[in-house]
Amino acid sequence: MDYDALVIGGGHAGIEAALALARLGYSTLLVTQSLDAIGRLSCNPSIGGLSKGNIVREIDALGGEMARLIDRVMIQFRILNLRRGPAVRAFRAQADKFSYSRLAKETLEHQKDLHLFQDTVTDLLLDSSGRVVQGVKTERGNTISARTVVLTTGTFMEGMIFIGEHTAPSGRLGEPAALGLGTALRNLGFTVGRLKTGTPARAAGSSLDYDKMEEQPGDPEILAFSFSGAPVNRPNLPCYITYTNEETHRIIRENIHRSPLYGGKIVGKGPRYCPSIEDKVVRFPDRPRHQVFVEPEGLGTDEVYLNGISSSLPEEVQEKFLRTLPGLENLRIFRPGYAVEYDYLDPRQLFPSLETKRIKGLYVAGQTNGTSGYEEAACQGLMAGINAALALNGREPLILSRAEAYTGVLIDDLVTLGTEEPYRMFTSRAEYRLCLRHDTADLRLTGKGYRVGLQSSEAMERMEKKRQSLEEIRELLKQRTLKEGEIPGLPEGQGGKKLEVLLRNPQVSIADVLPLLPEVRDFSREILECVETDIKYEGYIKRQEQQVRRFEKLESIRIPPDFDYQPLEGMSAESKEKLRLIRPVSLGQASRISGVRSSDIAVLMVLLARRPK
Amino acid sequence: MMESIHDPDDAIAAPATPWGISALAVIRTTGCRCIEKVSTVFKPSDRLKKALGGMAVYGEVFNPADGSPADQVIALVFRAPASYTGQDTVELCCHGGIPSVRKVLDALKAAGFRDAGPGEFTLRAFLNGKVDLTQAEAVNELITAKTRRAHDLAFNRLSGALWKKVDEIKQSLVEVLSALELTLDYPEDEIEEPEEISLPTLSSARGKLQSLLKTYRTGRLFQQGIRLALAGRTNAGKSSLFNLLLREDRAIVSEIHGTTRDYLESWITMNGLPVLLLDTAGLRASDHPVEAEGIRRSEEIIENADLVLYLVDASRGLSAEDREYLEKSTDRVIPVWSKADIAAAEPPEGFLPVSTVTDQGREDLERRIYESVLGTEPLDAAVIDSERQKDCLTRALEALERFIGDVGEGIPLDAASADLKEAVDALGEITGEVTSSDILQRMFSRFCVGK
Ligand SMILES: Cc1cc2nc3c(=O)[nH]c(=O)nc-3n(C[C@H](O)[C@H](O)[C@H](O)COP(=O)(O)OP(=O)(O)OC[C@H]3O[C@@H](n4cnc5c(N)ncnc54)[C@H](O)[C@@H]3O)c2cc1C
Ligand SMILES: Nc1nc2c(ncn2[C@@H]2O[C@H](COP(=O)(O)OP(=O)(O)O)[C@@H](O)[C@H]2O)c(=O)[nH]1
Ligand SMILES: [Mg+2]
Repeated sequence: MDYDALVIGGGHAGIEAALALARLGYSTLLVTQSLDAIGRLSCNPSIGGLSKGNIVREIDALGGEMARLIDRVMIQFRILNLRRGPAVRAFRAQADKFSYSRLAKETLEHQKDLHLFQDTVTDLLLDSSGRVVQGVKTERGNTISARTVVLTTGTFMEGMIFIGEHTAPSGRLGEPAALGLGTALRNLGFTVGRLKTGTPARAAGSSLDYDKMEEQPGDPEILAFSFSGAPVNRPNLPCYITYTNEETHRIIRENIHRSPLYGGKIVGKGPRYCPSIEDKVVRFPDRPRHQVFVEPEGLGTDEVYLNGISSSLPEEVQEKFLRTLPGLENLRIFRPGYAVEYDYLDPRQLFPSLETKRIKGLYVAGQTNGTSGYEEAACQGLMAGINAALALNGREPLILSRAEAYTGVLIDDLVTLGTEEPYRMFTSRAEYRLCLRHDTADLRLTGKGYRVGLQSSEAMERMEKKRQSLEEIRELLKQRTLKEGEIPGLPEGQGGKKLEVLLRNPQVSIADVLPLLPEVRDFSREILECVETDIKYEGYIKRQEQQVRRFEKLESIRIPPDFDYQPLEGMSAESKEKLRLIRPVSLGQASRISGVRSSDIAVLMVLLARRPK
Repeated sequence: MMESIHDPDDAIAAPATPWGISALAVIRTTGCRCIEKVSTVFKPSDRLKKALGGMAVYGEVFNPADGSPADQVIALVFRAPASYTGQDTVELCCHGGIPSVRKVLDALKAAGFRDAGPGEFTLRAFLNGKVDLTQAEAVNELITAKTRRAHDLAFNRLSGALWKKVDEIKQSLVEVLSALELTLDYPEDEIEEPEEISLPTLSSARGKLQSLLKTYRTGRLFQQGIRLALAGRTNAGKSSLFNLLLREDRAIVSEIHGTTRDYLESWITMNGLPVLLLDTAGLRASDHPVEAEGIRRSEEIIENADLVLYLVDASRGLSAEDREYLEKSTDRVIPVWSKADIAAAEPPEGFLPVSTVTDQGREDLERRIYESVLGTEPLDAAVIDSERQKDCLTRALEALERFIGDVGEGIPLDAASADLKEAVDALGEITGEVTSSDILQRMFSRFCVGK
């Protein structure tokens, strides 16, 4: 074998997969179409956001790279939803796109046991049984053997871009599609479908009039995504907000027949939550305007990203409607918006380890599994890399539960339910989101990363120290009693209360009580706020934890991989078919398969209980 | 469910008709190799063994120990999967009466059958996909339903009146939840028109849940019936009224005080409501040891009854003893002015005049009994009567109330929404569906969001 592991694709999934495998000591080759496009941010220039920011921090806790990359190249930082509750609070950063990509490549280059190679994979090599992967074949005729292969092709597999009447085989504008592999996978019997997504135009910042827009500044204080404690000292650039209007909508409506989507050229389904401006105008005709965010693409570039107005209308139409927006009257387009349609694998063909059921040693991650988004791709890449490494080592896969990580929710949704549109994470996809706060990702996952071998003992110590600090602060708040009038501005009669009790009051923040507790002043803002959240939402968190314990009961009833559903009398043929296709690993997973009825689960429960252990 | 399970393939047998005196009784058997097993105690054995599904075979069940006949029977054969349980099944139709049923069951036991546990036939039907969970519950109650009305209530659930009602409440909550989730899943300053929480929808859902929960008592009452005790001094006319309500002479009516020494009970129905009528010995202190024991028992029965008819002999009027009892009594007691045909005085306030001789007041009494249990409102078609449904509805209601409270207090919605989600899930448990994807579905079909 040439390598222990081979990763196809240098996007956000591929980066994490390759780094994990190499860091776990396996000689790894990353094959990607262009080394200059490694870690490219194909669409919006930002990382994080609701639930996505949590994923970035989960990746960091497990020993992945994304948080450390964005921490070093961000050009604006915000904590979203500060005025809302803890589950929907999240970090988001604007990225310097070029630096992100360059830093990603540099990180890969410096990784021991990892090699990079520019080529396009066109086929897989299998052993004689046809059920075990052994390497890949490439466009330039190279054959490279490897014991395990991670497939992360993003929007490139048989990719096709659309701008009005123009179409071309591309994965991103200006980058050729990866042709051949999609056909090869179909021939191997995989179910391959088409999805589409779109991106807006990029414009010359100097052609815009920012005085006509609202400024959206970053937070004055920058916090790090990574739990490593490395200080973040980055510039803070503003974004701007402007709006579409009736005139914009009129132009779009008039030209709608020239849209490849409405003209019927695109068959793949697009995301409903990230609609193109054409979609917005058609589906919500009553809305007088739509928001557009003008975001810098980086330092040292004039290019700006027009967030919220993605379009695949002809270029001249794009220019025309964009110029109706306040501040965009003299806009000059650098690159037009476009739609891309690409091959994806029905993720129900995967085990929760992200290994394919059909071919041993073949793992799939990222957009290829029907997701969209950098964070979604990266966390899958990390898990695929970890599990491929664990398998090489003869160990059980690491499967995160829905109650311990958004990553767990994402993968469970994909392999259990599949997806018919690009899948994006939402906090509402997680039943137990209060348990998945961004500020507890390290407490939840560092230990898992450490046991796998990706996390350092220093990270473990840091996490333990945080845990202790949380307890210490909590203890102090429990003991210290407030004297009447000690905190100015509080209503009367608060005296005599313990500070912990006082903090449950929504009007009181940890900052209010800090002056009374000199002992805790040295703890970081993050740790203090973590304690505050724990106290304020204790009742809700406790209840959710109880629900988690109930949920874990079904999860803990394992279904043997060889379980035969055929002879079961009590089940409809449809349920059996679905169970055979998904092959759930636990009763919990089985219960989430759509179309499997609760009575079917009851039957299974009875039969599993009866099986000799 | 899981705990009570024996092997669902075992051969089991149980009478399908109630124990007691009747012309015919049916004993149902089912399980693995059921037909072969029955034929080892059946003559002619071969005809039974070879019978096609749906065929009836006439023959004799005998005791294999000594070959003595147990009973003449008609065996109805059902072959899997075309049977109630989905397994091979034989229904034996034998003579009614406890001795013959006993003998046939003994023979079956010798042939390798065991007694079926409660609900075990339905459980198998459920395990073999013949009925679903709500249906299984309802079938069980259909079987145990004591009256026609109860039968209707159980039947209605099968046809989905309850499902419809619960689903309707659930949908209205999903609507609120999806709007809320959507608002939560986008940064607060990047959503142009955050959705308001519809408090009217929430309180209407709360009202509907409350009234549905109230039907539990009704459902339960129709399922289990009520205990109605006849009380009063000896000779007040209790046994006569018992007979009148029963419309048959079962209690011994006599003018000698204290004839009803023990107590008598019988099931009757009033307007479909099953009523266990309990005639008691009366409340007179007695030296006679048997009678004294009877009185002690009477007191116990009266104590445990759901409703008491307290009879006062109208020809004699209220005694001190009566006054004393009625003073202590609650709304559990209906005072009856008995022997109204020979009344010496007008009935006192609250008394219902009744005569067992002229039938005067009987209908009024029956109505009064029914209404004091079920009220005067017409009954709802969707009624809950299983413990599981009640638990789910209670959970839903409690969660919804917590949510409404939290919204009022300004608790952040991402924390509070867990309660709304729990309410939706609890309702989903009744209708048997998973819901998390419903919410996302709804989110994007109704609202325009996303950069
Ligand atoms: C037009 C467009 C619009 C988008 N819109 C959104 C959006 O609205 N919201 C959102 O969250 N995300 C959006 N994204 C998606 C986001 O870019 C991706 O989700 C993310 O980059 C996926 O990461 P990945 O690692 O799976 O794949 P990618 O980042 O696409 O990386 C795949 C890499 O693999 C390489 N590759 C592919 N096939 C082969 C092969 N056979 N051999 C060798 N190398 C190969 C490619 O060259 C590429 O470098 C959009 C992307 C595009 C292109
Ligand atoms: N005239 C008349 N006599 C009644 C009526 N009900 C009962 N009696 C008589 O009252 C006597 C006592 O009745 P019984 O039912 O045995 O009373 P108990 O001891 O309360 O059970 C019997 O002789 C009955 O015939 C009635 O409505 N009218
Ligand atoms: Mg009597």
